Amino acid sequence: MKKILQVTLGIVTSVGGFLEIGSVTTAAQAGAAFGYQLLWAILLGTVCLIFLVEMSGRLSAVSKHTIVDAMRERFGFPFFFIVLVGMVLVTFLVLIAELGGVGLSLQLLTGIGFPRWAIPVSFLVWLLMWKGTFGLIETGASLLGLVTISFVVAAVRLHPDWSGVASGLAPTMPHIDKAHYGFIAVSIMGASISPYLMYFYSSGVIEDKWDESYIGVNRFIAASGMTFGGVLSMAVLVAAALALHPRGIQVNGFQQTALLMTTALPRWGFYLFAISMLVACFGAALEVSLAIAYFFAQGFGWKWGEDLEPAKDARFSLVYTIIILLAAVPLLFGIDPIKVTITSMALTAATLPLAITPFLFLMNDPIYMGKHRNGWLSNSVVAIIIAISFVLAVISIPLQIVGG
Amino acid sequence: MEINVELLIGRTVRDVDGEKVGRIEEFKVERGDKSCVLDSYLIGSSALIERLSAWTLVRPIARALSGRRFYSLYQVPWQDMDLGDPQHPRLRTAKRDLRHAK
Amino acid sequence: MDLVRDVMDKKLLDRSDRELGRVDGLIMHVGPGSQPRITHILVGGITPWMRLSDVLARVAGKLARMWGPKRADPVRIPWSCVKTVGHDIKLDVLARETGAIDWEIWIARHIIGRIPGSGTEEAE
Repeated sequence: MKKILQVTLGIVTSVGGFLEIGSVTTAAQAGAAFGYQLLWAILLGTVCLIFLVEMSGRLSAVSKHTIVDAMRERFGFPFFFIVLVGMVLVTFLVLIAELGGVGLSLQLLTGIGFPRWAIPVSFLVWLLMWKGTFGLIETGASLLGLVTISFVVAAVRLHPDWSGVASGLAPTMPHIDKAHYGFIAVSIMGASISPYLMYFYSSGVIEDKWDESYIGVNRFIAASGMTFGGVLSMAVLVAAALALHPRGIQVNGFQQTALLMTTALPRWGFYLFAISMLVACFGAALEVSLAIAYFFAQGFGWKWGEDLEPAKDARFSLVYTIIILLAAVPLLFGIDPIKVTITSMALTAATLPLAITPFLFLMNDPIYMGKHRNGWLSNSVVAIIIAISFVLAVISIPLQIVGG
Repeated sequence: MEINVELLIGRTVRDVDGEKVGRIEEFKVERGDKSCVLDSYLIGSSALIERLSAWTLVRPIARALSGRRFYSLYQVPWQDMDLGDPQHPRLRTAKRDLRHAK
Repeated sequence: MDLVRDVMDKKLLDRSDRELGRVDGLIMHVGPGSQPRITHILVGGITPWMRLSDVLARVAGKLARMWGPKRADPVRIPWSCVKTVGHDIKLDVLARETGAIDWEIWIARHIIGRIPGSGTEEAE
């Protein structure tokens, strides 16, 4: 029974990865521009993520190695380094966007511009990683993340037409604005299937000391955690479809996104929105910083672990200290976090094949997986996800230019 | 002479006549109590697939695609490899005399 | 045993199960008429960068000599120190004695250690 409580790992992964400035912005844009029509993209992203996260957990629980460990050991240093460069560049942009998201939330609450929040927010994120343990971050972000359920409350209060919602779950093509539709669909996929989620979850499994006995529970945690995030994302879309679409309001920033909450909950909506985004982006910033530090430490073979005092895993600690410091700089100069997040999602989509293709080999490796190798179903799903990722990679940049 | 094994990985090997044989992908060794000696080299594109443990995925596809030519996996005993110039490994035998490993 | 599959890039653990890096390279001793022997494991330095490109290795070497332990050569661990080869490679040495964690120690002492709340380096 105690194993079920480990669901916090699933929730924190989901909140930090699914419910962050990118997903919320694209879900709101989708709802505002196309009503329920793009729900299928969130559904597809959620399903893909459930499979990918379950596999990440299974790999690490069985082999006691993380994805990055396995990638370096099976593909060698040159391949690892190429993936490192790609992943770090893209994920760094995500970190800037998330820290900016916290700043924007504080700007909503206090009126003080987000560039002034760059240093305090970055410092707080760093401090939590410096002094906190993995368990603290995991449990804290999960519990606080529950405030995002207010998005579901908002959506329900706007009285959605449930048959309309259901039909949105099947892919359809719009009659106008095809390029914009395609761009948002790709962005939703890029915002949902972020490779850093897999690296974080895989490392989290090792931090939480799972073993082979956790395989069944891992399936439950991956599925429920990602479903939680997916449902919340869909709630944002539905709320935007009801609050913004009929009035023809397009989402260009935080102000419009906040409208979907204030329309549904006139008294509390504003504060719930700001606090939900603050918590979600803060959790995401922690997760992304950890994912980058894990990538370096595991690939190069350094000692790592969030539970350790910083002096005991000095290089690991140095990496997250430096990247958080660097990420604050563009924000100080007032770079728009929304613009950064849109770019990061297109780039994530473009680099997905690089992250996911090695997975196909690793999940079939008898040395790492033993008798828990992928069956034909999981392999087929990974193959389909790889195919989708290649399509996304090819069309994401052109679509950003044409439809962004 | 000291040779860096990691720099040999993926190097193209030519036979005694200068004909291209393939790339060094694996080194089969014998472990003793405190020692480790080289037994043979695995050369060829298929050795890479073996290393990646992807046989279960790639073999049916490869068989459908090109038949024999894809399976160029040679096992070369240590005596037959000349590493005098580590950047250009040469075999001491001819390609046609090589043994297929699989 | 296969070198690339079972040894290369694997994590190295010392006598007390502390990680001290990965197998970045291996030295093989080749002599006329004698069977080649693996004599050393190489850790760090410019060794991994040499697998990518010579230019990168030279740049990495220059940077490495400018700060920290100011060393660019890899650490050489005799193969005779290898105890077991499994998911990880266990060595019969202590990490500190090999020099493989010199960078970690330097950064712990000179950078991380100077920031309050960093705790203490591990004792030995």
